[in-house]
Amino acid sequence: MKNLKLSTLISATALSLTLASCHKDKVVKPVTTPVTDGFYVLNQGGYTYNNSSLSFYSYTTKQTTPDIFASANGGGLGDTGNDIEIYGSKMYIVVNYSSYIDVVDPTTAKLIKQIKMFTGSVAREPTNIVFYKGNAYVSSFDGTVAVIDTASLAITKNITVGRNPEQLAIANGKIYVANSGGLDFPNYDNTVSIIDLATQAVTKTLTVVTNPQDVSADANGNVYVLSYGDYNTIGPSLAVIDDNADIVKSQTNFDASTFTVQGDNNGYFITSAGKIGVYNTKTQTISQTNFVTDGTAITTPFSVAVDSSTGEVFVTDAKDYQSNGQVFVFDKTGKKEYAITAGIIPGKIAFLKK
Amino acid sequence: MVIILQRVFKYFWYKPCCIILLLLPASLFAQQDTTKKLKEVKISSAIPKLQAITPFQSISSSDFGMYSALTVADAIRDFAGVNIKDYGGIGGIKTASVRGFGANHTGILYDGIAINDAENGQVDLSKLNLNGVQQITLYNAQPDNILTPAQSFASASVIAIKTIQPNLTADKPYEVLLGVNGGSFGLINPYLQWQQRISNRWSFTVNSYLENANGKYKYKNELNDSTQTRNNADVSDQQADGALYWTKNDSNKFNLHVNYYNSDRGLPSAVLPVSHERLWNNNWFLQSGYEHTWDDGLQLLVNAKLSREYTRYRDPDFLNSQGGLDDRYTQRELYQSTALAYHFTSNWEASYSADFSFTDLGASSPIGSIYKYAYPSRFTLLNVLVSKLTLGRWLFQGDLLQTYVNEQVKEGTATPAKNNWSPTLMASFRPLKNNDLQLRAFYKDIFREPTFDEQYFFAINGSRNLKPEYTKQYDLGFTYRKGLEGLLDYLSFTADGYYNKVTNKIVAIPTQNLEITSITNLGKVRIEGTDIGLKTQTKLNNGWRESLSVNYSYQYAVDVDKNTAYYLQQIAYTPKNTVALNAGADYKDMGLYFNQIIASSRYYLGQSNPGIGGDYMNGYAVSDLSFIYKLTIANKRAVFSAHAQNLFNENYVIVRSFPMPGRSYLLSFQITI
Repeated sequence: MKNLKLSTLISATALSLTLASCHKDKVVKPVTTPVTDGFYVLNQGGYTYNNSSLSFYSYTTKQTTPDIFASANGGGLGDTGNDIEIYGSKMYIVVNYSSYIDVVDPTTAKLIKQIKMFTGSVAREPTNIVFYKGNAYVSSFDGTVAVIDTASLAITKNITVGRNPEQLAIANGKIYVANSGGLDFPNYDNTVSIIDLATQAVTKTLTVVTNPQDVSADANGNVYVLSYGDYNTIGPSLAVIDDNADIVKSQTNFDASTFTVQGDNNGYFITSAGKIGVYNTKTQTISQTNFVTDGTAITTPFSVAVDSSTGEVFVTDAKDYQSNGQVFVFDKTGKKEYAITAGIIPGKIAFLKK
Repeated sequence: MVIILQRVFKYFWYKPCCIILLLLPASLFAQQDTTKKLKEVKISSAIPKLQAITPFQSISSSDFGMYSALTVADAIRDFAGVNIKDYGGIGGIKTASVRGFGANHTGILYDGIAINDAENGQVDLSKLNLNGVQQITLYNAQPDNILTPAQSFASASVIAIKTIQPNLTADKPYEVLLGVNGGSFGLINPYLQWQQRISNRWSFTVNSYLENANGKYKYKNELNDSTQTRNNADVSDQQADGALYWTKNDSNKFNLHVNYYNSDRGLPSAVLPVSHERLWNNNWFLQSGYEHTWDDGLQLLVNAKLSREYTRYRDPDFLNSQGGLDDRYTQRELYQSTALAYHFTSNWEASYSADFSFTDLGASSPIGSIYKYAYPSRFTLLNVLVSKLTLGRWLFQGDLLQTYVNEQVKEGTATPAKNNWSPTLMASFRPLKNNDLQLRAFYKDIFREPTFDEQYFFAINGSRNLKPEYTKQYDLGFTYRKGLEGLLDYLSFTADGYYNKVTNKIVAIPTQNLEITSITNLGKVRIEGTDIGLKTQTKLNNGWRESLSVNYSYQYAVDVDKNTAYYLQQIAYTPKNTVALNAGADYKDMGLYFNQIIASSRYYLGQSNPGIGGDYMNGYAVSDLSFIYKLTIANKRAVFSAHAQNLFNENYVIVRSFPMPGRSYLLSFQITI
């Protein structure tokens, strides 16, 4: 009997030990494959899900790498990657909720340095980044624009702006920052802070419609600020700012959930009907309400990017905000060239040129 | 852009999902003796009770130590069909989903009365400690007792918790149990239970409980493989509970129960290395019950409850201009139930029960009211008619539950009042003369009401007008038990196959336009599964005895909404296969128990996407070892136990981004005076 009892215990233990070691941990070994000539798609991922990812499409191989950051670094990007830009020899990925900026090699996506954006142990939550003369300017929800030296990758200054700033754009030696006040909802902010790049200080504050978020500048002295409204009684509105006089030239109701302008091109926006609209920056009017000419259906258009050199228009499709999205690439006449599979909530695109 | 929109839903996702009532009233229908029918008395008490018309699994207080259990969640984690979502550590939230349904479909009964959380719908089982608990039973469909409040019939599965009732004599009119638990995570947990007999008819119990833990443990960061220490996971809670019992005889009983619970805990972040979020709970309830059996066999059961739960959630790091979030919620409930049962003939018993409940929810923050807060209140009326018929070897039971729900709001539009009819049919058959084998089947149709949060929280138009989530369960199974002659004392085996459906599943999807409702009744789930359980024990031999219990669950739960991208994919956080094993050896007063849980891989988004950028999560295997020693100190009974949890120091995660602790230890000592 004693033997039986002992053997039962031993076999039970042995069985469990075997079973315990049976499952394999998924080990991702970092693999670096140099890339050239293509575009990166920063997928936001689900909020608090820690599954932001970076897709890469190569023009040469015509293949999409689903998460080139994870492949190159052995670990994920973090939570809610919001902006990605290439400047000089480095690529900067602003990861909002994880609250850091991953500076990577744009040819391999391998991490060079992670700039943590914290005040003590409190996250600052960076959102967007622009560059000017060797400095990076990062807006954060804590109400600041941080100045980062792109050589040392150290924060040299913090400029206080309005509440919960979102996008920024550089025009005429100044930065225009939209202060959304979104985290105080429904008491949004409604201002645009103008920072003089020579002094790195706020010189003026303009008033626009409530909850301004998108900012971009064209090549003709105009800065466009799209306010999202309060999702209730105040609808979205577009402000056009003169970057010389620094005044709001016009403020008009504008049915759009996003607005972007790249250099000398048209402005592109997504309407509430889910169509891509085109804004003529020379005539300051909407030239098209449906840019797509070949009937390509996009389930949930989320963001638009333009490749200035080719005029191609890239539209991301977030689908149901939980599954992998897509990116549709259109030529300048609105005909679909191809589409790729992206990650969850594909947002900002960065072009890698040879 | 969507960031801000998602922050709006932060309120939603980070809402304290653990507003619950704690200990509820004492047992009201422990034994259902009537003048006409005597309850079966099992002679071989070792064989566990298997035969009820609905599948059930049970654990009693004598076995809590074998599973190193401190809370209800720990005690039931080995049960077949149960999937515990665990956020890790002593203070981590733990909710139970049964047979593929969400945790909102699991009803929790405390001495027969439901613990309700109208705000969030889920009960955090880590808050229900085992101090004063006699038995925990998981029923699929509903408890088998038909003299019971109507609310017992209103969930897809029910976890019934029964508290210890005083069983004292004039010779020994009191019993005091003093105990303390301590160990890893800086845990110190003293507790006391005092049972006192006042007279022939009156007795009372007092339970008090203090717990403090720093919640620290090391874990591996999944993003960069570094070792980090869990921070802000401390918990400090206190509980005081008193129950007064009046028993004239078995047909005439009354009890009054009062309970107070207070806790303060940190909430670790899923993403950030340092979190400062905190959650406070302050709850009390008052409850009473009366049971009477008349000579002709008519039985009456009356219950009433009054409760108030206060929750405060604070996030000082939230980047608004008020210094963060500081939301306070108060939920109150008034509940009353009346049930009548009668044996019309010797083989036919019927009962009728009517419950009404009124709940309201208020919220505030230091800067004023919370944006567009609805201040909802809900009136629920439940009526159920139950019939139980025995025909030779056959047993049939059926019930029809009627639910009427009416809501009011101070701000916005209320959901229209609605009425639902929910039938259940059950049958069991014992083909053998010795009743060792029982075949059973049931069909249950029940729903769950949308929670206040789902219905009103940040609903731009005042109300989302959500419909209830409907479930249908079809079960077929058998139980077999046999007392044996040789080495083994008994063998008991249960196996059930089931087919469940969920329609109108409430899903929350962020959209760009907040004016369009983003919480809808679109989901559909189909679940096919099996629950198998085996229990055996050897005969006592030279002081030695060995025991073994194995549970296996198979759950194939898929999304069957054709409009989603993951049509026919396994739903989130549902492993296909789970095995739970508990093997023990006793020698006289000592016992050594080994517990093993193995769960297969899961997908945390329900997309079944295994590659990089997908939602695959490893399966895991966790082992625990418990040593229990019963001794006598100065003529008083005492129990000392030592436990090692996660014996092999596995790095595992149940809920993504909330790593579980590595190996931890628990020491426990208690003495009965």
